[in-house]
Amino acid sequence: MKAGDIAGHRKGLLAAGASLLWRRQEILWWVFAVNVVLGALGTLGAARTLNAALGYSLAGDQLLKGFDLGMFYELLRLPDADFLPSRFTAYACACLFAAFVLFISGGILEVFRQERRLNTGDFFAASGVFFWRFVRLALFMLVPFALLRFAYRDVRNWSEYLGDKAVADQVGFLILAAGIIALGLLAVIVRVWFDIAKVRTVAENESGMWRTVWMAFDMTLRHLGTLLWMYLRISLVAAITLLICFLIWTKLSPTAIPATFILLEFVIVSQLAARLWQLASATAWYKQYAEAVPVDSVAFAMPLPEEAIEPIETPVVPEPDLSPLNELETPATETSQDIPIRDDL
Amino acid sequence: MQRHRALFVLAIGMLCCASVNAQSPFAPKISGPLSQRVVAYQIDAKYDPAKHTVDATETLTYHNLTGQALDRFPFHLYLNAFQPKSTWVQEAHRDGYFRTSNLEEWDQKDNGSNEITSFEVAGMGDLTRQMRLISPDDGNADDKTVFEVKLPRPVQPGQDVQFKIKFKATFPEVIARTGYKRTFLLAGQWFPKIGVWWHDQWNCHQFHAMTEFFADFGTYDVKITLPKNYVIGATGVQTSGSDNGNGTKTVTFHAEDVHDFAWTADPNFKVVESQFDGSVGRVKIRLLTYSGHKSSWQRYVDVIRGTMEKFDQWYGPYPYAQLTVVDPPHGAGEAGGMEYPTFITGGTSWYVPKGDLHEPEGVTEHEFGHQYWYGMVATNEFENAWLDEGINSYTEVKVMDGLFGRNTSALNLFGIQEGDGEELRSFYLGDAGFDSLARASYTDMSMGSYGAVSYGKTATMLSTLEAIVGEQALRNALHIYFLKYRFTHPTQQDFMRTVNEVTGQDLNWYWEQAVYGTQVMDYEVLRATSDPVDWYQQDATEKKGATTYETQVILHRKGDFIFPVEAEVKFDNGESIRERWDGQDRWVRYVFHKKAKVASVEIDPDHKVTMDSNYLNNSRTTERQKGATEKIAAYWMFLTQFLAQMLSWLV
Repeated sequence: MKAGDIAGHRKGLLAAGASLLWRRQEILWWVFAVNVVLGALGTLGAARTLNAALGYSLAGDQLLKGFDLGMFYELLRLPDADFLPSRFTAYACACLFAAFVLFISGGILEVFRQERRLNTGDFFAASGVFFWRFVRLALFMLVPFALLRFAYRDVRNWSEYLGDKAVADQVGFLILAAGIIALGLLAVIVRVWFDIAKVRTVAENESGMWRTVWMAFDMTLRHLGTLLWMYLRISLVAAITLLICFLIWTKLSPTAIPATFILLEFVIVSQLAARLWQLASATAWYKQYAEAVPVDSVAFAMPLPEEAIEPIETPVVPEPDLSPLNELETPATETSQDIPIRDDL
Repeated sequence: MQRHRALFVLAIGMLCCASVNAQSPFAPKISGPLSQRVVAYQIDAKYDPAKHTVDATETLTYHNLTGQALDRFPFHLYLNAFQPKSTWVQEAHRDGYFRTSNLEEWDQKDNGSNEITSFEVAGMGDLTRQMRLISPDDGNADDKTVFEVKLPRPVQPGQDVQFKIKFKATFPEVIARTGYKRTFLLAGQWFPKIGVWWHDQWNCHQFHAMTEFFADFGTYDVKITLPKNYVIGATGVQTSGSDNGNGTKTVTFHAEDVHDFAWTADPNFKVVESQFDGSVGRVKIRLLTYSGHKSSWQRYVDVIRGTMEKFDQWYGPYPYAQLTVVDPPHGAGEAGGMEYPTFITGGTSWYVPKGDLHEPEGVTEHEFGHQYWYGMVATNEFENAWLDEGINSYTEVKVMDGLFGRNTSALNLFGIQEGDGEELRSFYLGDAGFDSLARASYTDMSMGSYGAVSYGKTATMLSTLEAIVGEQALRNALHIYFLKYRFTHPTQQDFMRTVNEVTGQDLNWYWEQAVYGTQVMDYEVLRATSDPVDWYQQDATEKKGATTYETQVILHRKGDFIFPVEAEVKFDNGESIRERWDGQDRWVRYVFHKKAKVASVEIDPDHKVTMDSNYLNNSRTTERQKGATEKIAAYWMFLTQFLAQMLSWLV
């Protein structure tokens, strides 16, 4: 099958992903809620320190009415206003959130796959089922990301070297910028690759992670244009949103704290939404892709408890073109029988 | 008769002016020697851009104005500092860096040298073998930055001695204010330079990593031969230029009443010219820059003209005909931000945001200021760096604040603001308590401590002094100090005495702490409470405007620096009272009986005492101030959330 053939049938992938996320937006709000809680926890220590230093001082006015950098340095320099522990708390909360997202990824993808609300038990059961597999995927993903990190170091050294030789000021910067863009694209490709691996793992209840990684790699390469363009368009929407928010921020009064807070939280929501949109779109893509292979290969990973079933909104899926199917390799899969299903799920 | 004499003088004056104007529109109205002109250098140099070397012959005429016979003469060989075992490198390596250069490791490109191939003294013959390396500061036998020659017979007071020196200068890749980068060259400290007879002895320090230079005033006539496609700029003014017909050209520069000579060359230079009409004549501004920095060209010119105007108004005239401003190319940051007489280097990049980040302006202003505090008031930079770097940092704050606003003179971007004075204060407080200003600067603890006290502390200390003597009085003092000591080598005592005299105050108590001491100032409001005076009555009820309160305010001097401060006590009925405390005791209590409660207490309500190391404890309110905490917490939370989200992208 030629790369791009599927794309011809997948013009509504972004819309399908957006629609899926819109219908299952409770996931976004839950993830956001956890992000807010962890963000708040990561801020508590700093807020206490700030309050001790600024709570009964007029000096804070210089930080409130505008932002006096000198006063901010003053604050950071105070021996009794040590922000180091607060920074560690913030880092810890950020890591905790990443772990949380890793944990619930299985549940999220299961919800997207089934296109219906799962009850809490089912959601976390799915999360638990796939957690360790996703941990393995995350460990595998370290390899390409590490390679990209090394490549970045080389690009930086190379840009410094060539920039240093060149008379024109911008040469080094342009080489670095081009390198960062190229590496950024490669990072997105890696992300796509491992997202497809995750989606496939959930769809096929795959337990062989090496296998799923290589199959996802094969799929990603074959349909790179479609998948990359899909991810990039979502990233572009996220970047434009960020830019608009930044422009609004520059217009806000320095003392408009509630409005600033709402704007900053909106940024977070929009970025989280973009990420979930990518996952939903990847799920939609995989479904359409999987329609081109035998039905038993995409058996449900999870049982569908009667009480949890909601009316399923039929997704708009174009008629698959089965003609090129013979060119597709049928992926080796495992079915839902491999998953131990507990009665209470 | 009187009338005829006046007419005669007027006619002569007009003739003089006419002849000056006929020579050059930029010639200043001041004529005649402005300094003692102890030295006269004539140098014939040939630059080899492929090897980054200069082969030169130097003829130095030294006028013995010391009042005694001299037979020993020390010379600086500054470029020898760029060798791994030199004192300069050892000191820079100790701190791991020098300005923007990493000195954890030694790179062969950092090598530089001054080699003397012949040393003759007119009438005394070849004394090359009499040259002896000395290390007067640290005894480092591997340091080759100072040598001494003993003459066969002494030079009598009032007599001249002429040295003829053939030397080769090899430049390092740009480091510490000198060197090459691609086709660019900044030739600083490149020729053998005689020490200064000062306080009845030779003052000729080795080259140290932290400190700069010290030299006698005189004249320079320098002939430089280089490839003809090179654009060149130098100290003084260009007097001639000729094409040699072999792909090279020879350019001659002349400078008077200066104590150093630097030059720069690059075929890629673009020349931007402007002028400034000062109180003693027109000054030509010649900017040597690059096409990639086009967005900064006008910024350079504007800040130079603005600075020259303020210096002319506040401190005195710039008497030279020209100022050359060099904008180094990218990657040559070590050549940026440096001063030589009538010749300064700035620093910018193609990406510096237009208008609101005043870094290029700040650097350029600072280096121009050195034309006064170093160039003309030529203090000893080895020993008293605060007299040039510090006073110049203070005047930098005044000029930058005057040009760009007090709270926005360093930065005003996206609502984030910083004043130049605040930036220098932060610099000072980073390493506040280690070295005194009076300590010989080259012996300071570290690069950080040297910078903190020489630049930051002096600027902050003089700014705080305004709280006692007033801004105008201090400006007057600097004006008098400049006029009195220009073209000489004053000491720190000269400066402090001048300020005392002009302000009419004995400020020695201040100098003792600020200049000779390392005390750090910190005042705090320890307590601000109000209690009803009838607190003991069980049925007493408080009623606003009717109940009488006893308000207690305690001010505490936490630091060792004793300084009189003012405190403003505000009450909740809008009334406010100012109290002045001499700060002699560790604390003071103020008690007020009013039908109002205290709302806030603030030490230094006019924000003049910038030496106070902690502004946050200078005030205390009785009601909680939530705004700043909530604002910063909101951003902190956002950053935590954003970081969390970024990390989650990776799993």
